[in-house]
Amino acid sequence: MISAELRFEGFDARSWTNLVSLFLPGLPERLDRAPDASDAPVAEGEVRARGSLLVVVDEDDVILAASHSQRGRVRELAGTSVDRTALPLLATRAGAHRVLVLREGVMEELAEQLGARFKSDDSYLAQLLEVIRAARELEASGELTLWPNPIANVPIPAAATFERALDLVLPDGRAAVLALWDGPLWTAVVLRRRHGEIDLVAGPETLVRWTGPLGGDWRRDYRVILDAVARSVAPVHFGIFAEAPTVRSLLRAADAGTWAQSVAVRNVVISPMPRTVGAALGADAVRGIGKASARALGGLDLAGALLPFVREVRARVTHASSVSEILGFDPLKVLGAILRRDEPPHDE
Amino acid sequence: MSRPVARPRSRPILDGATLRLGEHEVPLRSGALHYWRLPKDHWRDALRQVKALGLPMVETYVPWGVHELELRDGKPVFDFGERDPRRDLAGFLDLAAEEELLVFVRPGPHINAELTGFGLPQRVLDDPEVQARSPRGNPVVLYFPPKMFAVPSHASEAYREHAGEWLDAVGAIVGPRRWPKGPVVMTQVDNELGFFFRSGPYCQDYHDDALALWHSFLTERHGDLEGVCRAHRATYATWSDASPPTRFAGDLEGDDLRGELARQLDWAAFAEHLHTDFARHLRHRFDRAGLGELPAVHNVSIGEGGAPVSVAGLGDAVDLVGLDYYHPTREQRVIKRRTLYLSGTTGAAYAPELGVGAPPWFTPLAHEDSLVTAMTACAYGLRGFNLYMAVDRDRWYGAPIDALGRARPEATAWRRFLAALENVGFHRAKRDVRVALQWPREYQRLTRATHLLGTVSPAVLEAMGGTPVELCRADALGFERPIQHAWWDDLARVASALTAAQVPYVYVDSDAPETRFEGYDVIFAPSYEYASPRRFERLARLAAKGTHVVYGPRLPERDEALLPHAFNAPGGHAPTRLDDTMAHALVADWVGRFELERPFATLPPVETTVHEIDGEERVLFVINPASAREAELALSRPTVAVDALTGESIAGDTSLRVAIDGESCRMFLLQSERRKAPRARRRT
Repeated sequence: MISAELRFEGFDARSWTNLVSLFLPGLPERLDRAPDASDAPVAEGEVRARGSLLVVVDEDDVILAASHSQRGRVRELAGTSVDRTALPLLATRAGAHRVLVLREGVMEELAEQLGARFKSDDSYLAQLLEVIRAARELEASGELTLWPNPIANVPIPAAATFERALDLVLPDGRAAVLALWDGPLWTAVVLRRRHGEIDLVAGPETLVRWTGPLGGDWRRDYRVILDAVARSVAPVHFGIFAEAPTVRSLLRAADAGTWAQSVAVRNVVISPMPRTVGAALGADAVRGIGKASARALGGLDLAGALLPFVREVRARVTHASSVSEILGFDPLKVLGAILRRDEPPHDE
Repeated sequence: MSRPVARPRSRPILDGATLRLGEHEVPLRSGALHYWRLPKDHWRDALRQVKALGLPMVETYVPWGVHELELRDGKPVFDFGERDPRRDLAGFLDLAAEEELLVFVRPGPHINAELTGFGLPQRVLDDPEVQARSPRGNPVVLYFPPKMFAVPSHASEAYREHAGEWLDAVGAIVGPRRWPKGPVVMTQVDNELGFFFRSGPYCQDYHDDALALWHSFLTERHGDLEGVCRAHRATYATWSDASPPTRFAGDLEGDDLRGELARQLDWAAFAEHLHTDFARHLRHRFDRAGLGELPAVHNVSIGEGGAPVSVAGLGDAVDLVGLDYYHPTREQRVIKRRTLYLSGTTGAAYAPELGVGAPPWFTPLAHEDSLVTAMTACAYGLRGFNLYMAVDRDRWYGAPIDALGRARPEATAWRRFLAALENVGFHRAKRDVRVALQWPREYQRLTRATHLLGTVSPAVLEAMGGTPVELCRADALGFERPIQHAWWDDLARVASALTAAQVPYVYVDSDAPETRFEGYDVIFAPSYEYASPRRFERLARLAAKGTHVVYGPRLPERDEALLPHAFNAPGGHAPTRLDDTMAHALVADWVGRFELERPFATLPPVETTVHEIDGEERVLFVINPASAREAELALSRPTVAVDALTGESIAGDTSLRVAIDGESCRMFLLQSERRKAPRARRRT
């Protein structure tokens, strides 16, 4: 999915960390976290924020070593046994919200599998999927256990499947644009796909080089951006334009209908809107309406009543199939679930 | 920019963090620019901006995989600008000379630089004779984007041969442009040696050439096959029986366990030896290629506390070993530890890569992260550095100069910082340090050998913000305590106590030359049931010369092969058993006994460091690893201090009040006369 000749350019430190912060929710908060006061090297006993517990066990599931991602070594767990059915309890005791149990030697085994399956001609995506497959096999044989596992039942698609899914939002020879404002341009990214792979990731500095100075009203500037990207890079297949706080909350939104609502009131401009995105928004709108009406109508399942109608409409749109259908899972749903779990406990 | 000194020379001489060029001395400060990644018509503007930042030198890699076009009749064909003007290396060097910039050249062979394949040609990476091997003979794959690749074996004769051809080609262009004929004043041998981040204890290298080297290493270490059998408690009929370990057999007991430990420690030491051997080989190749008269450095990546390389050992192959720095502000104490280690071990703390920005697949770093890292490292003794990157480029973000050669707003702060360092002559500065903590290499090797997370090695763990000891086996392996953790914890106790008492200290790697240990009032050396006899003999010599050597908790009884060995107690003193209380008591004793000074003392967690230039206290750093606050610094005399970046002036008779942001560092130039009485003791 990414080209070996990938070009990444046009970000300064601020615009890149802004973009990353959309998907790594802890990032804006880390600058506010009270840092440790003690001296280096790290001494034991420091209590930090919640994180993950990593445990390495022998063949009898006796713990050889344990480490908390925020606190370091967890000495008291060494020598105790792990009950893999009671990982939530272990997590609570260790002050973690995630536990990874590894049998001794499993990382070496994973590395050997990677080496044995390695083909230098494969794309990075294909190579990465081999790693994930090998890890899944080791999981199935009990060599490693992750709790909770948000992708436990998520099938691992083939590389070609991912590429077909990507075709719906970013076909070959096309570009996609995301531009977010918070007053001035807060961040932006332009992706281009060529020969099946993403070969360009361009940031705001490059974007502004193409557009020239922007007016400052994002609901007008987005058209200038679309024209400039089409001229400089490739025709734009998919563009998202909004204010940064709006998109941040939508990415974590659990409520049905919120995306559709934002687009409807033009808090988010999607232009161009690929058919698949339109269909997904339509479905989201229906779910939103159904949920709202169920509340208003004392539980009447309006969505259930409307569903046959929605299905008939979609059946007529023969070219559009959903990303979720192709992949076998809804990537936005998975992303939202992961982001909500990783979100720090206090408000942003 | 430079000042004349006596005795002109005909080639560059590296003297600490200073380059001596004939009559002139130049601070070892540069900024990175990748010529092949910018349009040629942007080079001049970018070079001028590097100079406008206040840097006397520009640094560039020379990428093998970019310059090599193809193989013809079995020989590589290179383009140095004949086809693609961006590859015109000679043109770039000549332009730098025109713009009166010196050049630091890094031709690899491996450079990383976020290039696909780390800058190595695909045909080299695909050569099975080149590829490093896992225990089962598989290629060892590095998982970095944008494409995974099989890493080369540093022992591979084929790889060494290919690399030699490349260095000859580079030498043909760079050699004639060595100072004084041209601008090139320094080179770097390879890049971030350490098994290409695939540095778990059993990741590699089981290549046939590595195994041959393993056998010769064992001979050097144990004399002959019989000596190896004795050390490993094994019966090897032939050398092929003396195979390296592929796992840690922790379920053994008694002498069998000791034999296993000896074999594991040999394997960990061999990894260091392999890298030093490769660096030495390359240095020789550099000489053959016409680059021999240039000082050569090497850069060890973040995670050196758990890496399979010896900073001190690499010092045998190159003129100066430095560390690369890429840290968020919350890692100030890691920056402190690394810089104190570099300062103590090498004597001229240098950063061949002081990160400004980062690649997109690394921990996101803001402008503040880069600047605070630089200032904090200088606070603890960094004397020279290469800003990586000074000019932005593909697969990077955050440099002070953009890819068109225009200064970004962040450039202003860098300009001020660099000007302050230049004006005060910071490259010549010294800290008065009288306490050294010995970094025990034989225990670091045990940490590596007992690491449980495979390819997420101790070095990678450390680079991710953890510690190298975090995921080692917790069992004691027949010792009183798990030594694989204990050495780290005991050093931490003493370091914490010294910090609480505001006493400056450094770490000195036990493999460093003995001269690096001279001049301290106190040396603390962790020691347990086994130790390196050479380390202890050295401690005894230092004690005999008057250094107060504190070791413990045990006088060792066994050597690194876990064979019985009679150790003499340094200075005739009993070992010291440490706990937190004892550590503070020890430090209090040292402060009283040696009248250890604590200038500009303040309340923790804020720390201060003072730097002398030409015998006078000239620079004060205030470091705050905690939340924003106002710190009060005790003064021994009236003082005026001017913030080097903001120009704010503060003054006091008996104390100075300093407002300081959270996770930050301030640099002050001391205006009042603060000449110190000369001492014979160590200054770093």
